[in-house]
Amino acid sequence: MHQVRLQIKGSDVARYSYSIHMQISAVLQSWSKPKNYPLFIRSVPIQNELKFHYTVHTSLDVVEEKISAVGKAMADQRELYLGLLYPTEDYKVYGYVTNSKVKFVIVVDSSNTSLRDNEIRSMFRKLHNSFTDVMCNPFYNPGDTIQSKAFDSIVSAMMVQAS
Amino acid sequence: MAQCVQSVQEFIQDSFVPMVAVLCSEDAEKVTRKNNLNFSELLRPFCRLTSEGHMRDPSNQLQVVKNLRISVNNVVTRPTVPSSGVPGHAHRRLLSEVVLTCQPAEGGVANVITAGDYDLNISATTPWFEAYRESFLQSMPASDHEFLNHYLACLLVVSSSEAVPVEKFLKLSQEQHRIQHSGEYTNPKWFIPNTLKYYVLLHDMSQGDEQRADSVYEDMKQRYGAQGCYLLKVNSRTAAAGADEQIPDPWSQYLHKSSLQSQVQLGPRLSVPSIYLLMYRTSEVDGHDSEEKGDLDNTHPLQLDTPSDTPGSLDALRAVAVETKPPPLATGVAAATSHGACLTLNDHDRIRLFIQEFTFRGLLPHIEKNIRQLNDQLVSRKGLSRSLFSATKKWFGGGKVPEKSIAELKNTSGLLYPPEAPELQIRKMADLCFLVQLYDLAYSCYHTAKKDFLSDQAMLYAAGALEMAAVSAFLQVGAPRPYPAHYMDTAIQTYRDVSKNMVLAERCALLSAEVLKSQAKYSDAATLLIKMTSEDSDLRSALLLEQAAHCFINMRNPMVRKFAFHMILAGHRFSKAGQKRHALRCYCQAMQVYKGKGWSLAEDHINFTIGRQSFTLRQPENAVTAFRHILTNDSQQTSTQQGAFLREYLYVYKNVTGACEVALPQLPLPCINSSATRVYFGHERRLAEGEKQAATHVSLDQEFDRDLAAMWQDLEEQVVAAAKRGVVPATFQSTQCCLNSQTDNLRFPLAVVEEPIIVEVVFRNPLKVPLVLSDLSLLWKFTLKDFNRPQEDSVGDAVPISNEKEASVPRARLKLLPHQTGQLNILGLVYNLASTSSTGDTINTAEGTSVRGRQDLEIQGPRLNQTKEEKTSVSHGPDRRLDPTITPPMPLLEVFFLQFPTALLCGEIRKAYVEFCNMSRVTLCGLRVASTHPDFFTFGSSSLATPLTPLSPTSFENCSAYKTLATPPGATPGSVAAVTLVSEGDFGSGTGLRGGGIPLGEGTLKPGESTQLPMWLRGPDQEGVHEIHFLFYYESAEKGGKISHRVLRHTVFICASRSLSVRATACRSNTLPEEEEEEEEERNGSMLVFVDVENINSSEAGVREFHIAQVSSSSKQWRLHKCINPAEDKGLSLSAASQKGLQIAAEKYTFADLSLGNELIITSTTPCADFFFRRCQPLDSLRPPVAMETQGRHSRSQGVGHGGGDKDIAGVVRKCNEVDLDIIILWKAFVVEDNKQVILEGQLHVALQTIDKEACSLTQKEEAQEMVLLKFKPELPPPMTRPSMEQLSHLIKTNLQYPESYSHPFNQKSLCMVPVTLTLSNCSLAQVDVIIDLRHKTTSPESLEVHGSFTWLGQTQFKMQLGAQEVMRVQLRACFLHAGVYNLGTPRVFAKLADQGAMCETSQQTATPALIIIINST
Repeated sequence: MHQVRLQIKGSDVARYSYSIHMQISAVLQSWSKPKNYPLFIRSVPIQNELKFHYTVHTSLDVVEEKISAVGKAMADQRELYLGLLYPTEDYKVYGYVTNSKVKFVIVVDSSNTSLRDNEIRSMFRKLHNSFTDVMCNPFYNPGDTIQSKAFDSIVSAMMVQAS
Repeated sequence: MAQCVQSVQEFIQDSFVPMVAVLCSEDAEKVTRKNNLNFSELLRPFCRLTSEGHMRDPSNQLQVVKNLRISVNNVVTRPTVPSSGVPGHAHRRLLSEVVLTCQPAEGGVANVITAGDYDLNISATTPWFEAYRESFLQSMPASDHEFLNHYLACLLVVSSSEAVPVEKFLKLSQEQHRIQHSGEYTNPKWFIPNTLKYYVLLHDMSQGDEQRADSVYEDMKQRYGAQGCYLLKVNSRTAAAGADEQIPDPWSQYLHKSSLQSQVQLGPRLSVPSIYLLMYRTSEVDGHDSEEKGDLDNTHPLQLDTPSDTPGSLDALRAVAVETKPPPLATGVAAATSHGACLTLNDHDRIRLFIQEFTFRGLLPHIEKNIRQLNDQLVSRKGLSRSLFSATKKWFGGGKVPEKSIAELKNTSGLLYPPEAPELQIRKMADLCFLVQLYDLAYSCYHTAKKDFLSDQAMLYAAGALEMAAVSAFLQVGAPRPYPAHYMDTAIQTYRDVSKNMVLAERCALLSAEVLKSQAKYSDAATLLIKMTSEDSDLRSALLLEQAAHCFINMRNPMVRKFAFHMILAGHRFSKAGQKRHALRCYCQAMQVYKGKGWSLAEDHINFTIGRQSFTLRQPENAVTAFRHILTNDSQQTSTQQGAFLREYLYVYKNVTGACEVALPQLPLPCINSSATRVYFGHERRLAEGEKQAATHVSLDQEFDRDLAAMWQDLEEQVVAAAKRGVVPATFQSTQCCLNSQTDNLRFPLAVVEEPIIVEVVFRNPLKVPLVLSDLSLLWKFTLKDFNRPQEDSVGDAVPISNEKEASVPRARLKLLPHQTGQLNILGLVYNLASTSSTGDTINTAEGTSVRGRQDLEIQGPRLNQTKEEKTSVSHGPDRRLDPTITPPMPLLEVFFLQFPTALLCGEIRKAYVEFCNMSRVTLCGLRVASTHPDFFTFGSSSLATPLTPLSPTSFENCSAYKTLATPPGATPGSVAAVTLVSEGDFGSGTGLRGGGIPLGEGTLKPGESTQLPMWLRGPDQEGVHEIHFLFYYESAEKGGKISHRVLRHTVFICASRSLSVRATACRSNTLPEEEEEEEEERNGSMLVFVDVENINSSEAGVREFHIAQVSSSSKQWRLHKCINPAEDKGLSLSAASQKGLQIAAEKYTFADLSLGNELIITSTTPCADFFFRRCQPLDSLRPPVAMETQGRHSRSQGVGHGGGDKDIAGVVRKCNEVDLDIIILWKAFVVEDNKQVILEGQLHVALQTIDKEACSLTQKEEAQEMVLLKFKPELPPPMTRPSMEQLSHLIKTNLQYPESYSHPFNQKSLCMVPVTLTLSNCSLAQVDVIIDLRHKTTSPESLEVHGSFTWLGQTQFKMQLGAQEVMRVQLRACFLHAGVYNLGTPRVFAKLADQGAMCETSQQTATPALIIIINST
């Protein structure tokens, strides 16, 4: 899940983009689905969506690096929030990985000073909670693209709030 | 970063080599020109020294110089690269050209990198990058802050053919001095003021006098010393000798690859590369002359282009290059390719020796000397200056100067040291040391210089020192100190930000990245490289991004996605730089990561770019493949984007097909839902022709209905069974005219020659933009086959099959017409695909590009699930829908219906006509029909009806459907019943109505023949809409074909509205026929039938009134006798008489007609009898066995033979209550239709089965349903072991015979005796014990009041036994006391079956009141 805000030359247009990635954990490797495919991507506005997709996809490398950096023994107590993955010129990319290796990525416009580490952290927590709700839905087939309206509205609310 | 051919050490060493200038006399130039080389080029392949050199460092220690390379260049007095650090256009173009010409080898070895679940196929080396780097470093301009590429020495070359060579040497030496010291030229730059001059005498072996050369050389030795001059003998090869000798051409790899770069470096003195040779031939020649004279204003060949060097001109240039490659340029190319034509291997060795001599005897000692000198200078100055510097710094600067930030130092960046400044001397010494591989010394010098520069705020100098310090630290043997990466970072930052010198920054970054790579610090290298990308140079950015991507993939934990992303960025920059081929390669490599991972937007973007680039690179096949991916995916793009994709695809595709038209390529759009493909065999359904209404048959418009299909199959089975005399052949397969996904497609379908095959294809458009398909046609393959029959119509191998398009998307129907027998395979579709113009909704195909392509139709059969293996694995059966076998001609029947109604009253009889046409060229026979409602229609019986019916429908007008007979005028209606005897078999129903044959004239229909038959329809008894199916069956007159029979289907919908409801009751008649002759026979065999007719028609049909025209009966035992009260409207009472005499002919039916009008309808003929029989049939055949038992129609014969048992009693008892009589009510309805009165006729049937039980014409269905329910209880106990009381009360029929009135003179005799005969007749077939009790019932006072005044005389109780159907008369006498009216019907009769002792007698039905009038006669 990622959120982006960026300023376009003078005009004060805010952009957001959210996405969620899922990685099937090693236990479930027999699944035929490819790893690290997007479960949910949302970006506001949609003009430059392609760029965000690339950004989010690339950030998975960093997420994987960060996860593998934590030792096996520490994996259980590991902090879910990964912090700032990397800054680019225009955006800041934050990451979050659940214990089931579902990855959340938020991309924020780097000029957005109102979103600090704490805000991002709480956004992730909120996101995680609603994602859990989605997973609890008996009609949701784990691994499918998320099409839940509730989830969607929560994401939208967050994006509006953060603008 | 990708792997490089050179190691890091080699790379850095080669990047910084001692530079040697060349000044050449004209004659010498001519000598080398013979080899198509100038002097510096001549030397170039031999510039790397294979042997080790030795020199002493300042501390007098011997150092080994290994693998040294020197660079020999002509003196160029023009600056090639502006010192501003921004490379010029020419420079850029050179680099771009280098990258462009260096492409990855086709099919070159690519190694597979496995990272996580990615398997990437990446070429490990990037030769284009190395080529770029090499040419970039070699074309570095000489700058002031460093001395690395300043000239250390100068070769003065004079030919031995010169008149006075020594003079020439002098002249050249002066010129060199002038160039270096006059200050006229800023370029080239010289390392040390007293440059080493080395005098070379060039001797042409083929021309000159060798002796003279030797003598001149001796002279030179005298003058310049043996160390400072050399005699080089070349061109020892004569033209004649050299023809067959294969001499390696070491120049090719140096000159070909870098022909352009040498052009830039060396300017017009060098022979220009082939391409420019032609273009600038004139200017070049001029240039040569002027250059020789030192005219520096000469135009640079590349300079010519500069004014017109717009971004697009690169392509133009390349285009020229491509165009001019062929023969016209032969001179240039040939010249370029054959270097060293006059040199033998000996000459090569001589040159090699010369270089070695020069380096070891001339250059290295010179350098050694200079280092020593500089070192001495520095050491002597050190003690003083160092302390002085630092002391003054400390005193004045407060000791914090070096920590100043770079930003603050900006203003001082312009600081320039004079050439002789002590700081520069250190740097100079460091550079010298570096060049001769004294890295330790170099490092310490650089380090010192760096400190000095920094303290002076001379940032550019400092950066240069930092850079070289870092490099030399890295190169130190044994690496005493770690590589100072931060030096490099600072240097790069300074170069870029402070000095704005991107060239230097880039060099620094390249060096640093290479070093970091060698230390496996890929992440740092990548960061460094990415930092260096900028807007000013797309090519550089692209190359560096690509290297960064390679860094990511080479990391210990490969960062695949970052690799992919940077590859895309690189590809983007490549395409901006015009390097399309490289761009395509980058995108393709990135594609491997994004493919199939669900990142659809990115994937689309990459595919789109790949498609575009491939197309511009004339690889349209790849372009088409890439575009296909975008379009077949379930794209998430917006519709406009999709439209753009589609247009691009179509455009590309068109160009592909334009190139090769041989095989039509596959199109990805639209998707064909192949399993929904339907195949229809036969002609299209013809619609109604005027009055005629064609059989509906099967059409593609109908949806497949499983129930319906099963019904048709059932019907077909029946009709086949009927045709094959009751046996369905084992090979029977129902005819399938329309094949779809739900039909059984395992067999090859059979199609008939000359009959079309229609294929319906279902399309699906996955895009959000409309697609236009046109010119659809089928692709097919045909195999000729002989079916043991000579092919009369030999059309040849080309079997013409017409294709035609029928419907637009999403379904298309295509027709094939086979003309020969054989095996047909339908393979696919060919069509034109176009996109609609995006403006408005008008579909404009002409404007949009339309392409032609094909798609294969491959239908996967149903999943097999029979055996265990099939269950455990996923295997699919074949689907042969599209592989029909074409069989020889078969008859083709068409059926038309004339005057076929759509609505009927229940029971209405209507006459219609059927026309059978044989459309084929084969005789048709064995026509049969089966129907779901056999009671709905009849064709009449062949023997009776045909001659009587009018043969054409025109004569039918207003005629009754029935055969009538005028009643004799005198006869009162309803008085006498006409009686006819008819056998059931006459109506053809014996064989079973289902699948009955149709009476055709001769039993066959000749080709093209048609025949009309009358057909009677009777409205169904149930109101509502009825769906009635007909199945016509026919065979070919020629037997033995692959198709045994064919069928034609027809479905009609008949709306039945209510007409009349008839209720009939049969009652036992108590009166015996009085005056008839056959009294004896019919005594106990009369019955009264009450018929109630009710008009239940709802008025909307316009029916005004119903007339009961006739009542007929049909029974094996009974016939209607006469109408008792015909006048009454409400009901009819009819008497029926038993036909006892006819019991023998049990299978015959007697039809008794009782006309109520003035016309007698002969019910025993078609159609009335037909319908009568047809009505009976289905009921019987549908009923389960149990129901049959209770039905009783056929049980008569069974019941008689059995004796004893409860069942028998029931049967016996029941039988006496049974009637087996069917009443047929024939009616006429007057209907107003279109202001015209129409008479409709109809018939209703009522089956009377039990006496006193009301039967209704409408309730039959309900009864049948009740019976059907019994089907589910097969173990039902025998019905009614004991006959009910009511049934038993019908055993005996009583009748009193007495005079109606009796006169008795009471005055004379007070008692009046009247004889009364009581007739008892046994109705059953068993012996019956009868008890007659004449006593008045005392318990009933009421009856006493009424009847009490008379008494029975004599025996009041009788007990007797009656045999089967026996009639017994008992004489009684009644005694009356008064005159009056009396009821004689008081005798009570009890009866029981004789052999049932346990049963008590049941009271028999009392007779109706029998009144007698006693008259007093006086």
